Amino acid sequence: MVTINILKEYGANTEEGLERCLQDEDFYLDLIPSALDKESYDALEAAVKAGDLDSAFDAAHALKGVLANLALTPIYEPASEMTELLRARTKTDYAPLMQKIWDERQRLIDMAGL
Amino acid sequence: METQNMGDGFRTARTVLVVEDESVNQQMLGKILGGSYVCEFANNGKEAIRLLMADARRYSLILLDLHMPEMDGYEVLRSVKKDTVLKRIPVIVLTSEKDAEVMSLQLGAVDFIPKPYDLPEVILARVKRTIELSENRDIISATQSDLLTGLFTREFFLEYVFLHDKSYPYVGKDAIAVNINRFHLINEMRGRDFGDLVLQRVANRLRAYALRQHGIASRTDADTFLMYVPHVVEPDKLIDELVDGISDLLDNPRLRFRMGIYPSVDRALDIPRRFDCAIFACNSIRGDYTKPIAFYDDKMHEQETYNERLVNDVEKALERSEFVVYYQPKFNVKGEKPELTSAEALVRWNHPELGMIRPDIFIPLFEQNGLVHNVDRFVWKKAAMQVKAWRDKYSVTLPVSVNVSRIDLLEPNFLDDITQIAVTSGITPADLLLEITESAYTDDGGDIVTLVKALRDRGFRVEMDDFGCGYSSLNMLTSLPIDVLKLDIGFVRNIHTSERDYGFLELMMDIARFLSVQVVAEGVEHEEQLALLKKAGVDVIQGFYFSKPLPADEFAYFIEQKLAG
Repeated sequence: MVTINILKEYGANTEEGLERCLQDEDFYLDLIPSALDKESYDALEAAVKAGDLDSAFDAAHALKGVLANLALTPIYEPASEMTELLRARTKTDYAPLMQKIWDERQRLIDMAGL
Repeated sequence: METQNMGDGFRTARTVLVVEDESVNQQMLGKILGGSYVCEFANNGKEAIRLLMADARRYSLILLDLHMPEMDGYEVLRSVKKDTVLKRIPVIVLTSEKDAEVMSLQLGAVDFIPKPYDLPEVILARVKRTIELSENRDIISATQSDLLTGLFTREFFLEYVFLHDKSYPYVGKDAIAVNINRFHLINEMRGRDFGDLVLQRVANRLRAYALRQHGIASRTDADTFLMYVPHVVEPDKLIDELVDGISDLLDNPRLRFRMGIYPSVDRALDIPRRFDCAIFACNSIRGDYTKPIAFYDDKMHEQETYNERLVNDVEKALERSEFVVYYQPKFNVKGEKPELTSAEALVRWNHPELGMIRPDIFIPLFEQNGLVHNVDRFVWKKAAMQVKAWRDKYSVTLPVSVNVSRIDLLEPNFLDDITQIAVTSGITPADLLLEITESAYTDDGGDIVTLVKALRDRGFRVEMDDFGCGYSSLNMLTSLPIDVLKLDIGFVRNIHTSERDYGFLELMMDIARFLSVQVVAEGVEHEEQLALLKKAGVDVIQGFYFSKPLPADEFAYFIEQKLAG
């Protein structure tokens, strides 16, 4: 089960996250699994793989927004980097960044036993 | 739920529509706002528009994400801006991107909430402030305009004048008051809808003029319009425009308007005061159909100051008995020798600093503010006591006529009051002749007729004063309960030099004979006038030919003469 301590240990900025949730720990913690919902990540990866940079940007942007709100810094950072590259329609190999995002997601799932 | 207080303690829960596709973000905003607002959620632009179209009035605010599937935030902004109902709902855009702000503003967003949602209390405060501003704006737009004409109401007009001055501090401005002459008659004779149409036409012309001149216009009450515009060089042209606006509705449209202009206003004056000046100028030509425009100038300012002084001093003057009653004799000229038959009580004001003031200076002024009633009551009492005093001294009863203003007639206990005055003075109502001006009947109609009937039932005799300068219809005259017609002085003045005027006199005598009432002519100064009036059949004569108005003790001479035969 995800806890504040686990999130801290993971590298999340729980102070910020909690502030946005009016210091309601349960509420904050309840939102975490939604941010890890596999579908959003799959959508991003599929778009990137297909070279559909517009859809990829939309998906990355949406994901980044949620991760930012919950202050899940370790996933947020690569997601943000990817969003900016996609915004500029940068033609590059997105696979390493995508992998980083998957890895960080998985790390939190493992730590929290989700 | 905590509710937003919208001033005056009026609290109610507002609904905020959150348009956002990410469930986490929706939930976080719901958490932040949920304590103060009802939040509804739309997952994309299409859903948002559907909800808004179904019941736009339900929503006090839209919180709008820009990046969404189906229909994005920009599309929503465009749709909202296009729709006359939706565009009154304020939109705050949720964005993490600076670049998006300009475009959102151009599309009508009022504010931004940055992502991520740091400082929830700031978000809440922004939401609250935005709703407040929007609701205040709605209230203002609902109350700032006069429903009938769409012009500003008085309060908002004065406020906008203030803003106007701030925006154009170096442009000379005129304060203008426009009034429609005898508007109540238009309403009475053609109906209220027609009167409203006239007002709307006038308002449209004023609005168009004000817009062209970069000024503002207002309707402050029934038929009074105010304008604040850069200095008007050709006010006649403005009158022309107004005339043109109603020329298909009314005859003689040129006679319908009077306009008071306070030119190049002194900005040291309070704003309402500037329009008082314009209204004062406008009222100064009330009834003068030859002159549609009057300017407020130094002379008028002096006049106004003088009037103000008189108004302020009335109460003191009544306490100190500064008002004095003079009596002008009336002679019956039916017989060979003129015979003293009654007198008219005429008031003068012996002001300790301003000297003796004639009633034509202060009565019209006091009629405007109702003070005339206090002065009239004073005169009624004095006159009644004088009748009694003469009777006690000479054992003759000489009736005295007193003026009754239309303001007096509106006093709720007028009938009992004047009866009481007669009774407590020890005379009978028949000893007081009540002069009521013709225009009181024509202006106020039915109620006056009923009241005059009641007066006569109590024994008072009623004279219709100034007959010939009002607008009585022949039909109305036949139903009027009066004892005497008193010819307007204007008809008497030139009868000896103008055949036409004499012709009019004969016409009025025919009316009097038809009504079987006595006729009194006042303002008679020359023997020729007297001879012609006698020839025409006038019963009673009053005027300088016999005597000017006199103090009571000097008037006694006429009574003594009468007694001496």
